[in-house]
Amino acid sequence: MDKSHFDRHTSAQYNAELEEARKNLMQMGGLVEQQVEDALRALMEMDSALAQRVIDTDQTVNDMELEIDEECTRILALRHPAASDLRFVIAVTKAVNDLERMGDEASKVAKHTLELADTGSGPQGYVELRHIGEKVRQMVSQSLDSFARLNTDSALAVLQQDQAVDLEYGTAIRTLVTTMIEDPRTITRALNVMWSLRSLERIGDHARNVAESVIYLVKGQDVRHIKLDEVEAQIRKK
Amino acid sequence: MTLTHQYAKQKAETVTVTKTEPDQFDIGDWTQTVGDPLLDDPRLSARNMDVFYADNQAIHNVSLDIGKNEVISMIGPSGCGKSTFLRTLNRMNDSIDICRVTGEVILDGDNIYSKSMDVVELRAKVGMVFQKPNPFPKSIYDNVAYGPRIHGLVSRRTELDEVVETALRKAGLWDEAKDRLDKPATGLSGGQQQRLCIARTIAVSPEVILMDEPCSALDPIATARIEELIAELSKNYTIAIVTHSMQQAARVSQRTAYFHLGKLIEVGDTDKIFTSPDHKLTEDYITGRFG
Amino acid sequence: MTDQPLNAIERMATVKQERLHARLKQRYNRERRFKAYGVASISAGLVFLAILLVTIFSQGIPAFQSTFVKLDITYDPEALYIDDASDPDQLRYADFDNAVRQSLLQRFPDVDGRKETRALMSLISTAAGYEVRDRLIANPDLLGQTETLWLMADDDLDLVMNGTIDRNLPEEERRVSDLELTWIDNFIANDEIDRRFNTTFFTRGDSRDPETAGVWGAVVGSFYTLVVTLALSFPIGVAAAIYLEEFAPKNRLTDIIEVNINNLAAVPSIVFGLLGLAVFINFFGLPRSAPVVGGLVLTLMTLPTIIISARASIKAVPPSIRDAAMGLGASKMQVTLHHVLPLAMPGMLTGTIIGMAQALGETAPLLMIGMVAFIVDIPQGFTDAATVLPVQVYIWSDSPERAFIAKTSAAIMVLLGFLALMNLLAVLLRRKFERRW
Repeated sequence: MDKSHFDRHTSAQYNAELEEARKNLMQMGGLVEQQVEDALRALMEMDSALAQRVIDTDQTVNDMELEIDEECTRILALRHPAASDLRFVIAVTKAVNDLERMGDEASKVAKHTLELADTGSGPQGYVELRHIGEKVRQMVSQSLDSFARLNTDSALAVLQQDQAVDLEYGTAIRTLVTTMIEDPRTITRALNVMWSLRSLERIGDHARNVAESVIYLVKGQDVRHIKLDEVEAQIRKK
Repeated sequence: MTLTHQYAKQKAETVTVTKTEPDQFDIGDWTQTVGDPLLDDPRLSARNMDVFYADNQAIHNVSLDIGKNEVISMIGPSGCGKSTFLRTLNRMNDSIDICRVTGEVILDGDNIYSKSMDVVELRAKVGMVFQKPNPFPKSIYDNVAYGPRIHGLVSRRTELDEVVETALRKAGLWDEAKDRLDKPATGLSGGQQQRLCIARTIAVSPEVILMDEPCSALDPIATARIEELIAELSKNYTIAIVTHSMQQAARVSQRTAYFHLGKLIEVGDTDKIFTSPDHKLTEDYITGRFG
Repeated sequence: MTDQPLNAIERMATVKQERLHARLKQRYNRERRFKAYGVASISAGLVFLAILLVTIFSQGIPAFQSTFVKLDITYDPEALYIDDASDPDQLRYADFDNAVRQSLLQRFPDVDGRKETRALMSLISTAAGYEVRDRLIANPDLLGQTETLWLMADDDLDLVMNGTIDRNLPEEERRVSDLELTWIDNFIANDEIDRRFNTTFFTRGDSRDPETAGVWGAVVGSFYTLVVTLALSFPIGVAAAIYLEEFAPKNRLTDIIEVNINNLAAVPSIVFGLLGLAVFINFFGLPRSAPVVGGLVLTLMTLPTIIISARASIKAVPPSIRDAAMGLGASKMQVTLHHVLPLAMPGMLTGTIIGMAQALGETAPLLMIGMVAFIVDIPQGFTDAATVLPVQVYIWSDSPERAFIAKTSAAIMVLLGFLALMNLLAVLLRRKFERRW
């Protein structure tokens, strides 16, 4: 399946509608990707202004969610899409939802940044933040990329990444708890870091959802809630 | 436009396109029907059917099973041979001089194309409903009673009355027709006439009912009633329906067969065909890329 | 406006209005002219038809009335030469003309001499004698009585009464002498002469005397002939059409048969007459002039027409009905008999009636088989010698007597009446059956 698969309908109007939805999704994805990157940088550099910009962008992202959802509803009602077109519309609807959540989580991280900036910064937990943050940012980028290219191998890689991120997250939380137990003065800041970590982990989950949508779109298989090695087998099979 | 917007827009437009998989199942190399054309315990079995109109081959080596009490729909672009194939199932093509049929169709263990098969008997087992409602210019009662009469299926008038009433009830026409059984059938509306034709077909108690685009001449409400009727009928009869409307095929049938240029490309469960068909041609037809 | 050059249609659009208007007048004029031509043609046709009908009707109407004269008839056994009143033969063969003569002589006592007596007798029709005879046979008690009867007058008297014979002509140029005119005027003055509806026209066969000549023989002859034609041509024609349309294989032979049937429809009818003469009369020895032979000949003639129209009706039955019947398991025969035939029947019937109407008016072939003979008796059966209406018209038109002119036209009117009736029947039948759809 390739991008040109989505045109060549007898109705040029229909082609245009699908293309419009796809383009808007990519645009929204780009916005959210930028949000995540900015939120991380703001957190690392304690840049309140950047954090504020991240929060402001969320309004646009929400608007785009509404717009794309409406487009998809319209296509369903008027065009009765079947087969790959149907899967496309469903995948877009789901991905849009996940992207919007990603944006929300990025805003939460930015809010924590603002709070942290007030309380003064400290180096604890930042290594984990940077590490996980970078991985998650990559995941977001790759999931959107795999949607754009309709590439299931790339999507599979995102799923694998997510597993790794979940493990790291677990470790990071344990470390922070230990720190909090050792030095109760760090609790407030540690908590903030923990919540940021949780947001990042959530972003990673949403990126995984987007990747699952890509696999559904391309292969026609619903791979949610399946073990990773089974997913791999199913992808290779077809 | 903010930097983020610009960036996003750029990102969207600079994605390069790469073909990931080569086209499988190119029609030129096609050799076998994709999906599950054959069943374990079919009611009707077509094997290696070829149909020729003079020198023109209309059906190429089609093998298809139709299961007991299932509704199978046949779809495909105009001229793909689905109506021709349907008509081979009750030998309606016999009346066309230039039509030649080879292959087998097995019903209840007998090949209907063997010399010993009586066509009249066959058509009492495999009934047909046509695209344009075609009631006889007789009364409603006589229309439904015609089949049982000529085949000698009932011995007394009271029996015939009961058969007529049952058939009309099953076709969902009894309430509208019971007070006008001796009025001409041509006085009914299009949808009612088609239901009458269905009642007429049921009255001889067939095993299989073939329907050739039964709703194409009807308005949406009449169409919906007939589709409801088909669902009801499938509890007792095997139904094969040819349709131009993919939505209709999606609504009424359990299995769907896609024909293309006289070849049976793919057969499968209806929901699979309409969400993720295997063959590219099926996919292209269903999504409206041609046909 | 774009700066792209206009395409052909856009260029045309700029001059569309003027050109359209300019042409419009011409088009309407052409249509008006065309309509005028149509109306003119129809009018010409109607005018000729009117001339024809007016001529025939004006000539024929007088034939429907006969002149009757009132006379006192004495059933004098002596004048009748009846010795024995109880002998039926004597009653039958008595000299009734004499009774009439006596009555006339009584009426005009001045008449004497054989020549004058003959002239006087010539005023009364020869049929009068038979009328008197029939009265006596019906009521033998009349013997010896006197009765006042209205007896039919001779055709010359009739011609005088209806003005055909011009009184103002000199005697040599008149059929009726002055003496006869005085007698006629006498009758007129005494109101003993009357014109009444001529029933004998419709009850008697042909005769040498115009006043007693009737068309009934020809009507009955036509009827029998048509019955034979219908009984033979309808079943054969319909069966042939069904076979050719439904059952015959589509091969060379069937094509040849089709072509030949179509050609037969164009064969001149007199050829069929010759065929009838050679085969039916000479070879099979059927009686000449009989309705059987006439019917057979006309059957041959109308068969192609019926077959062609029946085939067209069968072809017009929609294939959807056939499909429906076959789909239910009806055999080929059942499809044809239960569905195709009833639906094609209206067309077949109208075709048949039109064929019959044509046959009714056919003269040439029937002349060939002898129906031109002088037949007086009303035919009683299919093998009795008979004549048909168009032939009767031909015979009368050939006759020298002036009174036959009116009779000819009257016979034509009867024939036209029949034809109009049959065509009306065809129209009604078609209308009745077509509504079933």
